[in-house]
Amino acid sequence: MRGPGALIEALRQMTVIRAFENGIASLKSKGGYGDIAYAYRGPAHLSIGQEAAAVGAAMALTPEDHIFGSHRSHGEFLAKGLSAIQNLGDNALNTVMESHGGGVLLRAVETRLPAENARGLAENFLLMGLLSEIFMRETGFNGGMGGSMHAFFTPFGAYPNNAIVGASAGIATGAGLWMKSQGRDSIAVSMTGDGSTGCGPVWEALNFAGMAQFERLWESRGFLPVLFFFTNNFYAMGGQTGGETMAWDRLARIGAGLRDDACHAETVDGTNPLAVADAVQRKRRLLLDGRGPAILDVECYRFSGHSTTDVNAYRTKDEIAAWDAIDPIRSYRDSLVTEGILDGAAADAIQTEVDTRMKAVFAAAADPEAAPPVRLGDDGARVGGKMFADSETPPDGGPPEPLADPGKVARIRQNAKKSRGGRDADGEPLSPLRAITLRDGLFEAVLSALLSDPRIMIYGEECREWGGAFGVYRGLSELFPHDRVFNAPISEAAIVATAVGASMEGGRPVIELMYADFIGRAGDELFNQLAKWRAMSNGSLSVPVVVRCSVGSRYGAQHSQDWSGLAAHVPGLKVIYPATPYDAKGLMASALASDDPVIVFESQRLYDQVELFRDAVPNGDYRIPIGAPDIKRVGGDVTVLTVGPALYPALEAARSLETRGVSLEVIDARSLVPFDYGPVLDSVSKTGRLLLVSEACERGGFTMTLSSNITRFAFDALKVPPRTLGSPNWIVPGADLEYGYFPQSPDIEDVILTDLMGDTGHSRKGARRWDDLALARSGL
Amino acid sequence: MARVELKMPELGNEITEAQIDALLKEVGDRVSEGEEIITITTPKVTMDLEAPASGTVVEVFVEEDEIVAVGAVLAVIEA
Ligand SMILES: Cc1ncc(C[n+]2csc(CCOP(=O)(O)OP(=O)(O)O)c2C)c(N)n1
Ligand SMILES: [Mg+2]
Repeated sequence: MRGPGALIEALRQMTVIRAFENGIASLKSKGGYGDIAYAYRGPAHLSIGQEAAAVGAAMALTPEDHIFGSHRSHGEFLAKGLSAIQNLGDNALNTVMESHGGGVLLRAVETRLPAENARGLAENFLLMGLLSEIFMRETGFNGGMGGSMHAFFTPFGAYPNNAIVGASAGIATGAGLWMKSQGRDSIAVSMTGDGSTGCGPVWEALNFAGMAQFERLWESRGFLPVLFFFTNNFYAMGGQTGGETMAWDRLARIGAGLRDDACHAETVDGTNPLAVADAVQRKRRLLLDGRGPAILDVECYRFSGHSTTDVNAYRTKDEIAAWDAIDPIRSYRDSLVTEGILDGAAADAIQTEVDTRMKAVFAAAADPEAAPPVRLGDDGARVGGKMFADSETPPDGGPPEPLADPGKVARIRQNAKKSRGGRDADGEPLSPLRAITLRDGLFEAVLSALLSDPRIMIYGEECREWGGAFGVYRGLSELFPHDRVFNAPISEAAIVATAVGASMEGGRPVIELMYADFIGRAGDELFNQLAKWRAMSNGSLSVPVVVRCSVGSRYGAQHSQDWSGLAAHVPGLKVIYPATPYDAKGLMASALASDDPVIVFESQRLYDQVELFRDAVPNGDYRIPIGAPDIKRVGGDVTVLTVGPALYPALEAARSLETRGVSLEVIDARSLVPFDYGPVLDSVSKTGRLLLVSEACERGGFTMTLSSNITRFAFDALKVPPRTLGSPNWIVPGADLEYGYFPQSPDIEDVILTDLMGDTGHSRKGARRWDDLALARSGL
Repeated sequence: MARVELKMPELGNEITEAQIDALLKEVGDRVSEGEEIITITTPKVTMDLEAPASGTVVEVFVEEDEIVAVGAVLAVIEA
């Protein structure tokens, strides 16, 4: 749309947003809006006063440009939707509405909010979809699984809004990464507040988007097409950014610290939609030219409180009045009238039309008949069933040819000479130089995926020539260009966040966090973003990311922790921890094909492990289903369930105890989430005794969960209470003390003989002679 | 004429042996200092060992695919 019509449409859109949010403000403060009584219980972070920034930005974007907003993004969402409705034809709009959520929302809109044409209907669809999402109803855009702060609708280019301040910066950057790698003609927009410039992950994202390699090393030159759009309303909640909590004197100046072009940073008058549209349009052109990333510092003001509990203690009446004097909607309307583009009567008619429409929308969304509340159902599946896709979506086509003949790559040549099994003719383990190792198993699965699936993109710190910190990827840089395998900066948060964003756009990033201990640097990205978007999107988004992290050893307290239990604790992540080459290759293949996020734990102590259980690790592709534990040794007296590398000391204990007439059945969990209890329950029904061993700290650990569940599911079969054996709740001590920290085979024997077999005369051989109750009492 | 030995280097962190991936020079070849003469591999890296001096390769003690301990003499150059 161009000309006067476009200018008037901008006013109309701002009016729609203001009316929408006034309605919510009224529900929160008065328990109703007009004659509609409704007690809305959820959050309301309103953007009253910021409409020009939202509408101006959306005016300059196409439906293929994707925005990623914040907790305060109703306005940005509506503006993007309204702009997309103007840009999409009737047929496209009808298809979009029809195909969303099996038509539930469209039916409600057709019945309760009919309109004369497709655009009118689409606008009611947009308003009803958002409002009933805010009310967490079935008709909401995310089926009620998102709510006010997380509503989005991808067909209009409105990608997830995020309740974690600044989180959208990294996710938008990942979207830009995938757009660039696919040569798309579109941009990703991170829409966060001025307060988010205090967030480390935002800085990581800014750096990531402007990495020199995009210009220098990638075949498709040009930086990521990401616009960092900061809606600068001068406050976080009650803290002022400029002058109080931030070091910058002007937000736009942060660009100067990043690149010599200062990320084209500009401060924009965010009270004027045309100034914002002009700036976004100019930045968009730069971004499509590969000259990004770009920063906009869009100054505006929120008249509404941060949320409805805000008592405005941090600002004066004079300040609010001064901003009110330049209210963006009133000012813009006046300028249209002054310029003769609109007369007063027509302007009033816009307001009346919008108010009438809004009343109807609120009435429909509040009505449980039109917008049914979400019911859990007897099986809980309404929410539980959204956690995982449990599916695989094959790629449409194949990737481009690799850069070289794989057979000529040294790593692959060397592997070809190795034995596929791990034992020599006498049954002795082979050197890792002579047999396929766990490291090789992972490599083979990843290589096969790279060669067959164009969606696979590998990155992490030192992933190219170094081959990943532990050489899993050695050889890949000879075969694949930078858009398939690249070195990331030391930005764990950005590594994970960009993978989330890229996966939302159709990519399948495989990322490496060098050590599991570094998970803390990407806590939000793993636990709030990667884990949750599938369910918060009501299953409409997939985030198929594989996160590889190694579990260290000998490097002390910050480089040796098994944190698989942390990942297993957070709903929404699949977690595997293979301990043999055969399992590593087969489980990795399943992870790479999965539509769900999978966290892969890899013990550094096992990278050189050869295959001791199967005759051979197959050369070709094969799969091991995620969730299936594996019986590694058959026995009759005690079931020992191990997680990760604990398998090996358990087997050593089994060999030793055999000489004393005690027979262990050793089961390797292989996966933590999901976990098929069946084989373990069968084993326990035979043995009646259970020991669970892992290298993680015992307190709150995953084996505690397994133990408690197995006790519940197999109570009648148990002869004695199960025992868990993990690491004590201490820091991991130095290399020389690890024998007293990670469970060793004598410790396993001690526990089995004393606690499970009731051998009161047994004298302990292991290092753990401490008083468990006393330790537990003092938090150790 | 001095005899200069090329040894299997220290490969760090608990790596005690490595495999000969390729012999790039043979007995009688002239080499200059810094020229690559043997490629070795460990589970984590593949690397080229360079001639410690300019001269002629007079002895090679290893074969391709052989696994050799760190510190072992691999070849001798007469400089
Ligand atoms: C990581 C994180 N820390 C704190 C909060 C709580 N919180 C919500 S909004 C907000 C202020 C954000 O300020 P700004 O980014 O300027 O956005 P605005 O609210 O002004 O739109 C805070 C501190 C949060 N949601 N996420
Ligand atoms: Mg702010």
